[in-house]
Amino acid sequence: MLNKELLCEVLGVAMSSGGDFAEVYGEHTRSNSIAFVDGKIDEISDNVISGVGVRVFLGERTVYASTSDISREGLLACARSAADALGEGSAPISICLNRREVIDIHPVRINPITTQLPTRIDILKSACFAARERSDLISQVSGRLMSVEHEILVANTEGLLVGDTHTRTRIAVSAVASENGENQSGSASPGRGMGLEMFEFISPEETGKKAAEQAIVNLRADYCKAGQMTVAIENGFGGVIFHEACGHSLEATQVGVGMSEMCGKLGQKIANEKVTAIDDGTIAGAWGSVNIDDEGNPTQRNVLIENGVLKGYMIDRLGSRRMGMPMTGNSRRQNYAFEPTSRMTNTFIDNGPDKNEDIIASIEYGLYAKQMGGGSVNPLTGAFNFAVTEGYMVRNGKICEPVRGASLIGTGSKILQDIDMVGQNLATGQGMCGSSSGSIPTDVGQPLIRVKKITVGGR
Amino acid sequence: MNFDAVKNTLIEEAKKAGLKEYEVYFMESEGISTETLKGEISSFSSEVSGGVCFRCIVDEKMGRAATELFTEEEMKALVARAINNAKFIEKDDKAVIYAGAEHYETPKLPPIPEDSAATLKTRSLELLDDTIKQSEYIAESSQTGATRARVRMELMNSHGLHLSNEVGASLSFVQAVVEKDGESQYGIAMAKGLDGTEVADMPRKATEEALSKIGAEEIPSGKYDVIIDGERMRSLLSAFCSVFSGRQANLGLSLLRGKEGEQIAAPCVTLVDDPLYEGSPMQTGFDGEGVATYTKKVIENGVLNTLLYDIASAHKVDRESTGNGQRGGYTSDVGIAPYHFYIKGGELSEDELLSRMGDGLYITELKGLHAGANAVTGDFSIESFGFRVRDGKKCEAVRSFTIAGNFFELLKNIEALSDEVKFSIATSFTVFGSPDVLVRGMSVAGT
Repeated sequence: MLNKELLCEVLGVAMSSGGDFAEVYGEHTRSNSIAFVDGKIDEISDNVISGVGVRVFLGERTVYASTSDISREGLLACARSAADALGEGSAPISICLNRREVIDIHPVRINPITTQLPTRIDILKSACFAARERSDLISQVSGRLMSVEHEILVANTEGLLVGDTHTRTRIAVSAVASENGENQSGSASPGRGMGLEMFEFISPEETGKKAAEQAIVNLRADYCKAGQMTVAIENGFGGVIFHEACGHSLEATQVGVGMSEMCGKLGQKIANEKVTAIDDGTIAGAWGSVNIDDEGNPTQRNVLIENGVLKGYMIDRLGSRRMGMPMTGNSRRQNYAFEPTSRMTNTFIDNGPDKNEDIIASIEYGLYAKQMGGGSVNPLTGAFNFAVTEGYMVRNGKICEPVRGASLIGTGSKILQDIDMVGQNLATGQGMCGSSSGSIPTDVGQPLIRVKKITVGGR
Repeated sequence: MNFDAVKNTLIEEAKKAGLKEYEVYFMESEGISTETLKGEISSFSSEVSGGVCFRCIVDEKMGRAATELFTEEEMKALVARAINNAKFIEKDDKAVIYAGAEHYETPKLPPIPEDSAATLKTRSLELLDDTIKQSEYIAESSQTGATRARVRMELMNSHGLHLSNEVGASLSFVQAVVEKDGESQYGIAMAKGLDGTEVADMPRKATEEALSKIGAEEIPSGKYDVIIDGERMRSLLSAFCSVFSGRQANLGLSLLRGKEGEQIAAPCVTLVDDPLYEGSPMQTGFDGEGVATYTKKVIENGVLNTLLYDIASAHKVDRESTGNGQRGGYTSDVGIAPYHFYIKGGELSEDELLSRMGDGLYITELKGLHAGANAVTGDFSIESFGFRVRDGKKCEAVRSFTIAGNFFELLKNIEALSDEVKFSIATSFTVFGSPDVLVRGMSVAGT
């Protein structure tokens, strides 16, 4: 449908009012999600998203138009509305597109969309039943198995023509434990940039059990005490602290317009020397990986912070123009209706020099945050927050009773200096990150770390 | 393929497949928006999208599939996919394709805005100019913008029901960034429309907010009396909205299960759900299942009158749908959601409410509600920003603290409310609103 000739024609119309660069992004996404609740398959969601986005640049200005009408007329109307919004005048150009092949570093073995429903339902049920069977205290289990096959195509006036198919799979289980009229919840939701082969090494049953166990721990937990204290944050989704406290502030979306506390700090020591942080979109089969970003550039491994020194930002095409720095393969968007911008892929704090047991042993009084929920940040001031979904008090170097209802708040620039111990059990956790270009899959990660002082919200 | 052709193909396919009960839900939207930066229009976007959702009942189970790809082949596949999906549904909820109500209210909608791209650009630039004039501390990263959008939806089914609605709105915003004493802060103001006093006042409001945050101090942990600003209280209401869902209650996921008729909030609290809020651009006479909507008091003087139901969740507890089975779009299943959902205002002015509190905190920002609020337990622990209040007067700004509590306890502990309800901008048909509320003895974590 989107052949070379039509793409050239669309790009030509897009450039007709004096733009200096234009790009067409085509998408065909099939998503399928099976929901389980109350012991039964509750709902099956089955959607096709299909459309095109046309973007035109003139210096640091962009116009973006999108449409779900992918007929020739629809596409040309879309390009024309972009051109009209940019300005007047005409600049006939000739475009020659050269297809670039993509090296698929995330090949899919078991396509989750075309696999028959009963196979997928079995996987989901085994996770949910495992949660239910974990304890009589579990009063409700809900779960979802989500699969997405995302086919994209990017063509631009520099002659690039590239396409890719990205597949991802995720299972999410949420359990509620009840006793004496009180409810507590727990959840687990691993995902990968893979097909159903993901379940060859991620056990659905273990996922269900993990959710149930967290709910039970929370049922036995008292409210966390409020105040400033030392906090050890466990690996995996604990990495959300870096994502919120620093990651968003290193995106060109913010840096390029002067809306980040990290502006102009390249080469400066912004974190404790034990902190090395990386954004790597090339990790095979990882949740936040893609072969090419949504501007058609291959993803890459970007060192953001090395031994405490700021080494780089995450930069898309517009950010590159605004900042005068090269693109880093970080341009992403939820779908064709969104103009892309710089986003994280798989972002993590690398292993450090400290032994995990030494980290816990070093805390006289504090909090061990075993599992984290989501959070948010104000990139301008660096003020961030995130929720602790499973936590324990630490006294005299020992992990003690569970506590619930805690959140951690602080300022990115300060917290980076206060991460004073970095352990060695690097692992990642999966999240959906929301920002101006929509909701996208990103991995967060870290080994066990110690923050010497942070405000713990509790009561 | 246009919608009529899509509809006809789907009906033909449904008949061919021997389906007796089915429904076609169509939605199309169109919008434009502009943003400014550094004195010029930095970005412009326009969007046209449309899609269709097909639902059908097979052996008493509901199947569903949706697409944006309008080709004949895809429409045939859509019906087949919905039928196949139905075969694997196990829940025993009654699957209903609704036959229709006797009467539907006709919303008195304001005219759909027709503003051109040029108008949006001009207004955005004027707002930026006005913002820059507000203060010598305004930074060049300040932004303004304007948006106009319209949505049309159509629902038709095998019972001959055929409903449609078209809504549209425009809005504008100012994000003022200030740099003063080596510190950066921002303030945001948003208003319905592109003109009028509220829009004209945005540059001043956003700049004042940004400046008021400069030099904020930390506060010690402890118990504080607090006034939660209506704009923030409505965010809390939004974060805990699912506790009012009949479906969540049926599943044991809302602690309001079985509490209809009981006192669940302070007597000064009345919570209204109004699908036909006068003057609002987002009104509808029918919900996503075709059920007629109506205005109701969910909480009246502290007593829970009703939860919100769609057809299936109401059927489970022998009730009628409250017309709250909404659809976020063609890709979403029917879900329970309110319309203009607001806590009614009290009798005190904002100043009188501050005097009544005496000493405490005035909370003007709550951050990370999606993570720090748990609707299953009602617990919240939220990063906050606000002002010290002494002798009923707003004093210095305070930052880097959390407020923590439980939503159900909070409802019971509301001592007084201000008289002005502050409404949010609509997300589909849902709008939250609240006055300022006074609550005693809130847990605060600071230094």
